[in-house]
Amino acid sequence: MTGPGIAGQAPAAPTPAPAAPAIGAPATIELDHVSRWYGNVVAVNDISFRLGPGVTGLLGPNGAGKSTIIHMLAGLLRPSAGSVAVGGVSAWRNPAAYRRIGLVPERETVYAFLSGFEFARMNARLQRLPDPDAAAEQAIHTVDLEAAAHRPIGTYSKGMRQRAKIAGALVHEPSILLLDEPFNGMDPRQRLHMIALLRTMAAEGRTILFSSHILEEVERLADEVLVIHAGRLAASGDFRQIRRLMTDRPHTFRIRSGDDRRLAAALVADAAVFGVELTDGRLTVRVGDYAVFTGLLPRVARAAGISLYEVAPTDDSLESVFAYLVRR
Amino acid sequence: MTVVATLVEVTLRGLLSRRRTVLLVLLAALPVVLALLARLGGGADAAPVLDALVVRTVLPLTALVLGTAAIGSELEDGTAVYLLVKPIGRLEIVVAKVAVSAVLTSALAGASALLTGLVLGGGARDLDATLAITPAVIVGGVVYSAAFVTVSVFTTRALVVGLVYTIIWEGILAGILAGTKVFSIREAVLGIAGGLAPGAIDGGLEPVQAVALSAIVIVGGTLLAARRLAVQEVRGGD
Repeated sequence: MTGPGIAGQAPAAPTPAPAAPAIGAPATIELDHVSRWYGNVVAVNDISFRLGPGVTGLLGPNGAGKSTIIHMLAGLLRPSAGSVAVGGVSAWRNPAAYRRIGLVPERETVYAFLSGFEFARMNARLQRLPDPDAAAEQAIHTVDLEAAAHRPIGTYSKGMRQRAKIAGALVHEPSILLLDEPFNGMDPRQRLHMIALLRTMAAEGRTILFSSHILEEVERLADEVLVIHAGRLAASGDFRQIRRLMTDRPHTFRIRSGDDRRLAAALVADAAVFGVELTDGRLTVRVGDYAVFTGLLPRVARAAGISLYEVAPTDDSLESVFAYLVRR
Repeated sequence: MTVVATLVEVTLRGLLSRRRTVLLVLLAALPVVLALLARLGGGADAAPVLDALVVRTVLPLTALVLGTAAIGSELEDGTAVYLLVKPIGRLEIVVAKVAVSAVLTSALAGASALLTGLVLGGGARDLDATLAITPAVIVGGVVYSAAFVTVSVFTTRALVVGLVYTIIWEGILAGILAGTKVFSIREAVLGIAGGLAPGAIDGGLEPVQAVALSAIVIVGGTLLAARRLAVQEVRGGD
């Protein structure tokens, strides 16, 4: 399911956004057959998609190419092939585009000697806002950083630093917000707050694209999901569909029990179990539905009077989930 | 204007918050201390002392540390991204960076030259030399800053490139191959000083050449750095 077969997933038409600063072109993000390589290494491989207002999650394991995509959108990297447009224009060699774009980079380094407020104000001044102080104050309020606003960023926790970066990125009320791993280092409370904040901003008609390697983050925030694996677009669309794709795939469990042979025989009788394998005293079970099997296994074991010592899913890493999606 | 002022403020605070910058004050004070010792030990001619200690040492080293830190370190640690994703001209960024490095370098090296010369004392010729070298060093601070800021936009090894340039090119080659002097900022500084106090300073370019080289490096370097910054790629985490 690679390639551009994702048209119509987002409102591509220039829908007038309620509170967004409506300047010229609609707040769309567009990649058209974009590739990017570094020397011989392909980081992004022929990706096309088009997004409109709302929250979209860019999901993929580390090193999948998420940052490269975000940096190309932000005009910090030139695509090796294809074209990138943000709000209808390319930001590469076009600083004027930054009036409508806010970027929260992944790297943690921020000017440690500035306070959060000063950092937001610096961003406001560089955006040539008429009242930088008021804009900075508003941004600090939005990310809930008032208590530490006048302390140097060098003294901040990771989560506070992240919020300071976000305050700097939204100080000019951009219609397009790009966030690279925005939840890194945030505690659960901060995460919830940030999710609420981004949802509010999306409801105002902004286009928000954030990257993450954590499924749950994307699930809780994104309306639409783009799954990236090894530089390719592995899947895209509504999160529930993708979730189903991920949970419907066959799962493999490694089991250690009091009597592996008898347990294997008992399990293989069940329709939920696709196959069992007993090699070198190790029992491996292939099942269709994760949830059904995890409910079934203890019942079968108890009925047969077998003790379970160890039950481990062998392929539940996100990496294998993505690899599975790419192979489809 | 607020844009350049903001860039200047952030750069200045960034440089002043580094310990390295504080060490530069000690470096600038060193010639003054040595001059005091020389004065107590019987005195020395101002021109050669200022050439060796300030023009050859304090000036290029200060500019190298500040010029490469002004933007090179930001490109390296990623904070430059916050400047790059703004609707501002790349030239404005470079001008602000060169300005901050130049003001700090010129202040430190200029003060070092003036105080060293005054402490050394000597005759009218020595005073003339001091009063000519000091403004020349101030100009030199701008020239070196433009040069090193430019280098640091092009390479992450700007410190090494700058050291090789100052020590090998300006220090050794200019002495052996006279033709290389035309591309030596040190010779330009001496040339400007020579123009201000004819007869008090030996060596250096012709004053006209010196001013021309300085102007070319300041304007050309700044424009070149801005052009390069416009196509600066910043890689992400993957």
